[in-house]
Amino acid sequence: MNFSVISDNLDYLLVGAWPNGPVGGLALTLVLSALSAVASGLVGLVLGIGLAMSAGWPKRLLVVVLGFFRAIPVIMLIFWTYFLLPILFGFSVPEIGTVVVALSLIGGAYLSYAVAAGIESIAAGQWEAGFALGLGRWRVLRLIVLPQALHAMAPSFVNQWTSLVKDTSLAYVIGVPELSFVAAQVNNRAMVYPTEVFLFVGVVYWCLCVSLDRFATALANRRGAAAEGAG
Amino acid sequence: MRRLFLLLIASFLASGAAHADRLDDIKQAGVLRVAAFDSNPPFGFVDPDSKQIVGLDVDYAKVLADKLGVKLELRPTNPANRIPLLTSGKVDLVLANFTITEERAKQLDFSIPYFSSGQQFLAKKGTLTSPDQLNGLRIGADKGTTNEIVLRRDFPKAVVVAFDDTPFAFTALRNGNVQAITQDGPKLVGLLANVPDRENYEIPPFTISDDYIGVGIPKGEKRLADVVNETLLELEASGKAAAIYDAWFGPNTKQPLPRLFKIGDKK
Repeated sequence: MNFSVISDNLDYLLVGAWPNGPVGGLALTLVLSALSAVASGLVGLVLGIGLAMSAGWPKRLLVVVLGFFRAIPVIMLIFWTYFLLPILFGFSVPEIGTVVVALSLIGGAYLSYAVAAGIESIAAGQWEAGFALGLGRWRVLRLIVLPQALHAMAPSFVNQWTSLVKDTSLAYVIGVPELSFVAAQVNNRAMVYPTEVFLFVGVVYWCLCVSLDRFATALANRRGAAAEGAG
Repeated sequence: MRRLFLLLIASFLASGAAHADRLDDIKQAGVLRVAAFDSNPPFGFVDPDSKQIVGLDVDYAKVLADKLGVKLELRPTNPANRIPLLTSGKVDLVLANFTITEERAKQLDFSIPYFSSGQQFLAKKGTLTSPDQLNGLRIGADKGTTNEIVLRRDFPKAVVVAFDDTPFAFTALRNGNVQAITQDGPKLVGLLANVPDRENYEIPPFTISDDYIGVGIPKGEKRLADVVNETLLELEASGKAAAIYDAWFGPNTKQPLPRLFKIGDKK
């Protein structure tokens, strides 16, 4: 094992060609993850509420759309968005935008079901109590159901975000210089240290995902304690 | 599977609507977007110091951008996504050790050749001495290259294992997953020059095809193609083409190779 290939190229692995070029490497992985996490969370929340609160044909339409995004591989959505949209509709999406949109739509589709399930898991008595107080459906949702449901959904969100961090590596297919892409470049130049290079990459993803999990758990515990204190 | 998918997409894209005039677009934007290799020294690779893509193909791309009076913007590519990048309009030109073939010429246009090479092999010393042995070997090739196609066509009994890029194929060779890898000779020479234990490997002195390398140009962009061809011929006449070659393959480089092909030798 010769880890000098890592230390020699550490700045390239961490920030890419920056400041003499675009940000890449681990920094870009973090940016892609953060943007996709926020966007997928919002998409999941909005569509999940839609799924739980709608009925009839709007619900069926939503199920079809969500089913589409849950059924196609992330790599294909990235590929299609990047190479096909310019031809079909004449507009071009930049690389980073493509990746964030693809990850948010697919992550959001998964989260929608988690959100809907969270809302549906709240006992009917909670709704009835709300209605008895004279509140409308949306106010019951906002004031009574959602605060309880969100707590139950938190593990699903963390799961989805962890998977999202790892899926950012699929951006390589359209040449986005995130961590795994620049690592492949370094590996291809150094030629003989694939074990060291990809072990390092694996460890970095592991650290990212574990810290995300720890952070989310800590946050949930603090929220839990605060809620109990308030109660 | 992914290669098939790329081919499908590429042929679909190739049938798309023709663009107005790319040469005017490039001048108006002030930027020439070129796809170049990022992992194939000395054609295109990331320089460890500057962290920018450099190489023989990049030098030609710079000259073309200068000729057009615009800025050069490089996009990293690999053998498999060169055609989709060009046909979807993400880049204006491809300079990535791009072998001219009739099959590819259905989807895009090529400039006159600016480099020539033959398909060769890299193996551990003593395993491969003549093409007759190829039919019995496991051989690594790069997905979407002419090397892969020629090998499958002419040596149907060879077990061809396709990789994303040459360095991955080389890793498979090191680990014993394949017994030889195939690529254009100069690319293998460039690869071997960067291997620390290069004394254990060899490039047997035979070729199984002659390849001409050209600039990939979007289909039907006649004016752009004319500028590229004129510039290449000027480079040869002024001696600059020889200087670019010598910078990467000259006697003082890591991979010295005599220059046998001149731009204009073949149309």
